[in-house]
Amino acid sequence: MKKENLTPWLLLSPCLLIMGSTVFYPAIRTFLFSMQRYRLTESYDIRFIGLDNYRSILSSPEFWTALSNSVFVLFFVLLIAFPVSMLTGLLLNRKSPLNSVLTAAAIIPWALPPLVNGILWRFIFYPGYGLANRILLGLGLISAPFPWTENRFSALLLAALVVVWRVIPFGSILVLSSLQAIPTELYEAARVDGSSRFQEYWAISFPLLLPIFPILFLQTSMAGINVFDELLALSGDRYELSTLLVYHYRTSFRFLDLGLGSAISYLILLSSGLLGYFYIKRIGKERSR
Amino acid sequence: MKTIRRAALCLCLASSLLYACGGKTQEGSAKDAEQKKGSSAAAEEKAESESEKQGKAASEISFMIPDWGVPTEEMLKDFEEQSGVKVNVLTTGWDDIRNKISTAAAGKTAAADVFEVDWSWVGEFQKAGWIAPISLSQEDMDDMLSAKTFSVDGTLYAVPYSNDYRIAYYNKSMFDQAGISEPPKTWKEVISDAKLLKEKGICEYPVSNPMSADEKSTTTFLWLAYTLDGKVFNEDNTLNREAALDALSILDEINREGLSDPANRAVSEAFPRLRNGEAAFMVGPSSNVMAVNDPRKSKVVGQVIPILLPGKEAQAEVTTPFAEAVGISPYSKNPEGAKKFVEWYSSPEVQYQLYEEISNLPTRTSVLEKLLKDGKIQNPGAMLELAKRIESPFPNGVPIYYTRMSTEIFNTINQMANGKLSAEEAADQLVEKVNKIVKEG
Repeated sequence: MKKENLTPWLLLSPCLLIMGSTVFYPAIRTFLFSMQRYRLTESYDIRFIGLDNYRSILSSPEFWTALSNSVFVLFFVLLIAFPVSMLTGLLLNRKSPLNSVLTAAAIIPWALPPLVNGILWRFIFYPGYGLANRILLGLGLISAPFPWTENRFSALLLAALVVVWRVIPFGSILVLSSLQAIPTELYEAARVDGSSRFQEYWAISFPLLLPIFPILFLQTSMAGINVFDELLALSGDRYELSTLLVYHYRTSFRFLDLGLGSAISYLILLSSGLLGYFYIKRIGKERSR
Repeated sequence: MKTIRRAALCLCLASSLLYACGGKTQEGSAKDAEQKKGSSAAAEEKAESESEKQGKAASEISFMIPDWGVPTEEMLKDFEEQSGVKVNVLTTGWDDIRNKISTAAAGKTAAADVFEVDWSWVGEFQKAGWIAPISLSQEDMDDMLSAKTFSVDGTLYAVPYSNDYRIAYYNKSMFDQAGISEPPKTWKEVISDAKLLKEKGICEYPVSNPMSADEKSTTTFLWLAYTLDGKVFNEDNTLNREAALDALSILDEINREGLSDPANRAVSEAFPRLRNGEAAFMVGPSSNVMAVNDPRKSKVVGQVIPILLPGKEAQAEVTTPFAEAVGISPYSKNPEGAKKFVEWYSSPEVQYQLYEEISNLPTRTSVLEKLLKDGKIQNPGAMLELAKRIESPFPNGVPIYYTRMSTEIFNTINQMANGKLSAEEAADQLVEKVNKIVKEG
C-alpha cells in the first residue's frame, strides 16, 4: 500500500520540482521581501519590518486610487465585453460567404500586443486632432477638440474600451464554438413547432451557452484586472489613472522599492485570489451537476 | 513485475530530468580509464582556458548604450588598434538600461563594463555602489561643465558624452509678422508676445512647453525655477517654496491663457512643435539647434534663433544641464580597458567625430567651439554662450530619491495643468510631498 502511494509522488516529482522552483519558492520569497525594508538602491540597509509595508500601502491614497480605478475598469470591461461578445458570436454564427473573413478580422485585436493597442487608440483619441475628434468635429457634434484623456473617468473608460476591444475576439470565438456545438435538430424541431428567432435563442441557444459563462467571465475579468500597457500608452504615469498593476510597476521597477512592491503583489494576489476562488467554486458546482 | 516496471519508469523519468538539467552526457565504462587519464590533462586545459578567458577579458569590454551613442565600426576599430581593447557594443533602449544595471548589480555582476548613466541616475547609482569613481584632470572638468552633475561629494562617477542643456528658441519670422522686433528677455515679455501672436492669428499656441505626466515636465520645472530664482532646493535639499511658486505661476499662466497647446497636457510632444511650425517660442534641449535647421526634420529652416533663457527681470544668467554620461561598473572584469575606453570616448577628437558621424552634441566646450568655427552647426545663436553658463540645480548632487521626487513633481504639474490645482496649491503640495521624500531619504 505504501509503495503504491509512493509511485504517483515519484512520477509527479519533476513537475513538482519545476513548480516548486518557479512558482512556490518565488511566492514565498516575495512574501518574505514584503516583510522587509528592501530598496534595491540601498541593499546595505535591508531589514525586517513586519507588516509596515502593508500598513504603509493601506494608508496610502495612491493605493486606494489604484484600487478604485481597477474596480472601475473591471466593471466596465465586464459590462460591455459580455453582451458584445455574445452578440458578435451570434452574428458570426450566421451563414454567410464572408464568415471566414469576418472571423479572421475579428481575431486581429486579440492578436495585437496590448501596448500596440494602447498606442493605436492613443492616436485615435489624441486630445488635439486625433481621428475621433476629427470625426466629431466634421459631424458638427463638438465645436472644439475634446480632451479625452484629461478627465480621470473618461480616460479610464477609454482604457476599459480598449481592453474590451481586445477581449471581444476571444469571447466571440468561445460563443461561436459553443453555438456550433449545438445540434441543429433542436432548432429544426423548434421551427416545426412555430417558434420565432428570439424564442429559439432564449429557449435553446442561451441555456446551452450557460456553461461557458464562467470561462468568459474569468477571461474578461483577467483582462480587466491586468490592464497595464493600454493605460501607460494612453496617458503615461499619472497617479490619478493608475490601476493596481501600474501602481505596482511604479513602486517596484521605477522606485526600485522591492519590499513595498512585494507587499503590493500580495495584496493584488489576495484580491484576485478571492475573485478566482468564487469562479472555481462556481465551475466546480457546474461540473457536479 | 509491476514493481520492476514502476521502478524502471521512475528511473527513466529521473534520468531524463538529470539529462535535461545536466551538461555533457556520461561516457561508457570503457572510456572511464581514459577519462581518469585525461582528467589531469583536462585540469590543465581548464586552467589554460581560464587564463585564455582572462586574457580575452583583458582585451575586451562590453559597452551598453542607447542607439544615439553608438560609435561607428570604424571608430571602434581605431580604438581597438590604439589600445588593444575590443569593444562589444550592446545597443539597449534607454528605458531598459537602468533595470539591467540594477538587476545585474543585485547579483554583484556587471551588466556591462561601461554603460550609459543618465544624469538622473547618478545619485542612486552612486549610493548603491553600482558605478565606480572616475578621475578626470581639472582641465577636462573645466572643458566639460556638465561633468559637475555627475559628481557626488566632489568625486566624479561618470563622464558626460552627450550634451544637453536648455536653450530658448524663438521663431523670428513669426515674431516679425506680429511686429515684434526683439526676442523676449523676461517671462512677462514671453507671455505678452505670445498673446499678441495669438490675437493676430499668426500662431494658435505660440508657446510650447511640456505639461504631461512625464519626466519632461519635471525638467521644465527644474530649469525654470533655477533660472528664475537661482535655486530650486535649499541647502538641506528641501524644496524652496518661492522658487517653486514662481515657476508654477508662469506655467499656470501660459496654460490658462491658452498660449500652449492643450494636447501638451496629455501627450509628451511639446518639443517637436517648434520645428513643425506649430509654436513660436520654446525652451528646449540644445539638440534643437541642429534639428530646427535640418530640412528632413524641420518645416521652419532658417526661421528659428536660439537665444538666452528669459528670466524674472532680465535674461537668465545660467542654464541647466541634462546630459548623458558613461560610467564604469565596479564589477567589471576589465576596469583598465573600461577606463581606456571612457577616456577615448570623451576625448576631444572622438567627441568631434561623434558629432560628425551620429550628430551627438559634444560635452566639451572646446569641441563645440571648434564645430562652430568649422561651420558644422548652422544658426547657433546663443548656443556657445549658454554652454559656458551651465550650472546644476542640485546643491548637493542629484539625490538618491530623484525618481520618486520627479514623479511627484510631474504629477503635480499635470494636475495643475488640468485645472485641479491653482499654482499656490500646487506649490504647497509639492513642498509637502518633496520634503517628505527628502526626510525619508
